[in-house]
Amino acid sequence: MSVKIEVIAGGVPHDKIMIAGLVSTLVCIYLTYLNAFTNTQMFSFFGGLAVVAALIWGSHTIKVLCSYGIGTGVPSAGMIAFGSGTIAMLLATKYGMLAPIVALVLAAVIGLILGYVSNNILNMKIPAMIQALTEMAVVGALTVMGFAAMITGGFTFTGLTTSTATFLGFPITSYANSFLGGGLIAVAFLLGAIAIQHPFNACLGPGWKQDRMLMLTAECGFLSMIVAAVMSFAFISAGAALISLIVAIIGWLYTYGQFFAMSKRDAAAWLDSKPIPDTEGH
Amino acid sequence: MENIVFGIGITALTGALATVAGSAEDTESNIGSQGDPNSQVQLAPQMGFLHRIFNKAVAGEPPAYGLWCALGAGLAWAFMAMQVNAILAIVLGCILAVFVQGVYATTAYLGRTASLAKFGQPVYVDIIKSMTTVTMAHAFIAIFCTVALCQLINGALGHPFPLPLLALIWGIALGAAGSATGNPYYGKERQYQNQKFGAGVPISASGNIVRYAEAGERNSIDNGFFTHKIGGSASGICFGLIVFLEIWRTILFERIYAGWGAIAVGVLMILVFTVIDRYIEVWARKNYGPYTAAKEADA
Repeated sequence: MSVKIEVIAGGVPHDKIMIAGLVSTLVCIYLTYLNAFTNTQMFSFFGGLAVVAALIWGSHTIKVLCSYGIGTGVPSAGMIAFGSGTIAMLLATKYGMLAPIVALVLAAVIGLILGYVSNNILNMKIPAMIQALTEMAVVGALTVMGFAAMITGGFTFTGLTTSTATFLGFPITSYANSFLGGGLIAVAFLLGAIAIQHPFNACLGPGWKQDRMLMLTAECGFLSMIVAAVMSFAFISAGAALISLIVAIIGWLYTYGQFFAMSKRDAAAWLDSKPIPDTEGH
Repeated sequence: MENIVFGIGITALTGALATVAGSAEDTESNIGSQGDPNSQVQLAPQMGFLHRIFNKAVAGEPPAYGLWCALGAGLAWAFMAMQVNAILAIVLGCILAVFVQGVYATTAYLGRTASLAKFGQPVYVDIIKSMTTVTMAHAFIAIFCTVALCQLINGALGHPFPLPLLALIWGIALGAAGSATGNPYYGKERQYQNQKFGAGVPISASGNIVRYAEAGERNSIDNGFFTHKIGGSASGICFGLIVFLEIWRTILFERIYAGWGAIAVGVLMILVFTVIDRYIEVWARKNYGPYTAAKEADA
């Protein structure tokens, strides 16, 4: 039985973050579906915003889980979130417009099984484990789906596995040049897996503050969105990709600046080219 | 025959690229105190030893390098899909990946240090400015070499995996090689030069890392300078050998028994290396291990 060594003192309660994260992620993923209605790709950037929302929720889940003394397990929590989530997301893309909902349900089931196995068969007996693994699998699935929607403009299986290239003036269908066939899903996997674990991994310690960590999550999300937007130039129209890129850069600049300000607020001192301060006894 | 000669040439080239990548990777991670030495850098202020050492724990080295390399390759792949020349595409992809690495490094240092405010550890702005750029430069070399060798494996040797997936696999291997080979030299020797050689890290010395240099206070560039001499080179040889031997056995033996030849040679190589490793371990313990220290002291 692990002992909980930290408590969440103040700040927004986890349930509130979870509900807000889930709702805004789903809404943002569905907003990319406007692409299909309006027959453009201008709404792809909502996929990136879904990523940011899901990551904020997921990083707080990691904080809840890792408060039970799982110090070195922080990066691995990100890996299991995306490992279980990607399976659910891939299967769900077969269901067309229902894909985000199916991904949510499938990922929750996979997470539930993983949580049960860890707690009851591997005997980890961590109280928050089952709920946290379920949440993280959902976050993983929706984040990869958000990246897919942002980079390719949609989240259907056909859209992710085929692309049309022009060869000698004739349009040809290519599988190797798609989101899945080109292996970009591996990039989306790791972009999300590192971004979800980094905020808590970077901010852990006695001076942990919720607002600073969540601001860092948003920063990681927008940073991932910048590079995803650059990759999306290969799939969607330049105008749509440019909108994603501009939204990502504005969001990143704001959150990065805010994170610096919050770190300055919380740090013991903010020194430039100064020696180590004298401490008693050393 | 021509195919094999061409394959061996590419194998040599990938091995050389991997050696450079391994060396740069280890130096980068040591300047950032990433991997297992990180725990002591993180612990030191809590034990009252404030320091001026860069502390950027983004994740363990394997997942972190998995991301940097996969990202560089994914961006390069996207640029190539946009009909950009392969070399230019790889350079552009790696520049963007290094930008992401640099941003992660600054936020890791700021976050960790701000959370240690209780123990009086200050944030040094000059450390962010000077160390981040040095790690970014080393990371660029490591990522560029890894993505380039993946492009060679994919383009010249016709590996069926797409470039980002190959880079993910080799990036994780690169991080693992640097972490396993290079880190002990920083985490066990460099940080604890004030302890008896080979003594390990006793509990009483936890967090008491060396914080002062030949002149002034030690910073992480001093650590990178020191560890590059042996730790970096050893990591380079390690990753270079992994890549070289892996591709070499595939090129030469994959035609024997529909690929089983390459697998058999791989198993044989693991056995040979196990024997060599065991011999070196026993030899090193006998000569340098703490277990015979009492006898040597008498003589």
